[in-house]
Amino acid sequence: MSRAEPGSANLYHRVVVYVLFLILLLPLAGTLLYSLATSWSASLLPSGLTFKWYVALWSDPRFLAAFGQSLLVCVGALLLSVLLILPLLFVVHYHFPRLDALMNILILLPFAVPPVVSSVGLLQLYGSGPMAMVGTPWILIGCYFTVALPFMYRAITNNLQAINLRDLMDAAQLLGANTWQAAFLVVLPNLRKGLMVALLLSFSFLFGEFVFANLLVGTRYETLQVYLNNMRNSSGHFNSALVISYFLFVLVLTWAANRLNKDKT
Amino acid sequence: MSFVSIQNLQKSYAGSPVFNDINCQIGRGEFVTLLGPSGCGKSTLLRCIAGLTSVDSGKILLDGNDLVPQSPQKRGIGMVFQSYALFPNMTVEQNVAFGLRMQKVKPEESQARVIEALQMVELQDFARRYPHQLSGGQCQRVALARSLVTRPRLLLLDEPLSALDARIRKHLREQIRQIQRELGLTTIFVTHDQEEALTMSDRIFLMNQGRIVQSGDAETLYTAPVDAFAAGFIGNYNLLDADSASRLLQRPVNTRLAIRPEAIALSLEGEREGLVRSHSLLGNVIRYRIEARGVELLVDVLNRSSADLHADGQRVSLSIDPTALCEVA
Repeated sequence: MSRAEPGSANLYHRVVVYVLFLILLLPLAGTLLYSLATSWSASLLPSGLTFKWYVALWSDPRFLAAFGQSLLVCVGALLLSVLLILPLLFVVHYHFPRLDALMNILILLPFAVPPVVSSVGLLQLYGSGPMAMVGTPWILIGCYFTVALPFMYRAITNNLQAINLRDLMDAAQLLGANTWQAAFLVVLPNLRKGLMVALLLSFSFLFGEFVFANLLVGTRYETLQVYLNNMRNSSGHFNSALVISYFLFVLVLTWAANRLNKDKT
Repeated sequence: MSFVSIQNLQKSYAGSPVFNDINCQIGRGEFVTLLGPSGCGKSTLLRCIAGLTSVDSGKILLDGNDLVPQSPQKRGIGMVFQSYALFPNMTVEQNVAFGLRMQKVKPEESQARVIEALQMVELQDFARRYPHQLSGGQCQRVALARSLVTRPRLLLLDEPLSALDARIRKHLREQIRQIQRELGLTTIFVTHDQEEALTMSDRIFLMNQGRIVQSGDAETLYTAPVDAFAAGFIGNYNLLDADSASRLLQRPVNTRLAIRPEAIALSLEGEREGLVRSHSLLGNVIRYRIEARGVELLVDVLNRSSADLHADGQRVSLSIDPTALCEVA
């Protein structure tokens, strides 16, 4: 079969792709339209278009606080994971390759235990006593770190395996570089792609996380999703504006990160 | 005194020895090859010399100084890897300059030396490219330039040609040898390819199971193998036990014999004790599989013209050059 086959097969493929896009985009388009509508209840189309919901949302100090707090918690968790996982991965792959099997089991744990269950455990552990931090952002940062772990570990591991870490390190050392110079000048720049993918994936996942945020911290340190949940009884237009804003933010971030990742080569 | 002297070197992994009591001497400017099957310890020995793998005991003297206590950064050794190990995030130029950058060589001087090194491997026009934009052969030449630019006292080549295709391998072989001669650089080359070893080296160390089995120049290794392993690894020796050898030569022989396939001549005169089982064309040589007096032999004959070809099933006479018979342990 030739690759660029004209006619019916080609048309069929296009239709499938378009239909898929339509199914994925339709709810989003509906939400977008609803967030821009003055009111939309008994008619087929909204009665008028307005930005007032967005204006209301972006001038609500509680929303801005929640947005900022979400951002802070996510960035904090990702920072922590980069600081811990990069050296860990380096050590595992360069010095103790056998530990990789153990790590593969460890990183599955955050997925193996449902968030509701682990929340209860975390509440018990950190609810009182010397490590009491339930209700503070610190517990969320720690908890999100474990959630991000599998994404970070897998993506960077794949990247590491693709670059032949051992030979690169050996070559750099024979050329006079010490371990730090070899790691920062040779290995790290080549992990940029994997790191970017891991960070983006984790960020968009964590930014939308609700269960842990709600159970461990709730309104005491309101994040975006908790705020959305608490606003569920307000206007639907307002909530739609919130969802679209959230979606656009992640979209722009992804696009920007992709652009940054594309230079050189 | 020899330039490189390895004395009683021992290395084991988790209790099982990789090599035991390695001793060898290498002269200044010499090109020596560690030849052996995979797992014989040749690459580990090279990594020990480079300092990338620790040794259990023994000495590695380079120009009289023991390298063993020194870190790989301080040894002044250049190395080329089978996987090239070029830094993917750097251009060819930056790759080659890396070692000079680590030595804090001034930019102007570094620039000049990088250009010089790239000219040596004929890649000066590729300075701005990234490794992924180069072919395998070009990558390996960059790796060679990168290891030469720091002016190492000793160059180690770890199967540098194994990942390349035949034509490029041949060309690069000559290029490496030529550069090595020009610079008078003492070089240790590791390979499992006997042809590579025979054509490139001043001297060959044949290794098996962590021991140096035989050492000498290509001629000695090829014509006088010391044991059955050496005979089996180099060339395509016919290896006969005492019984078969006695039967074939029709005189009592009480050791094993190794006979090179080109030391046997075929003709149609005389007794015609051999039967051509099969033949294959290796370009300039025809390799016959011959059965004679119950012994199977490989015989190589120069492919002069198709008229001389012996067909399968034909009976032929064998004459064996008596000076080419090697008694092996």
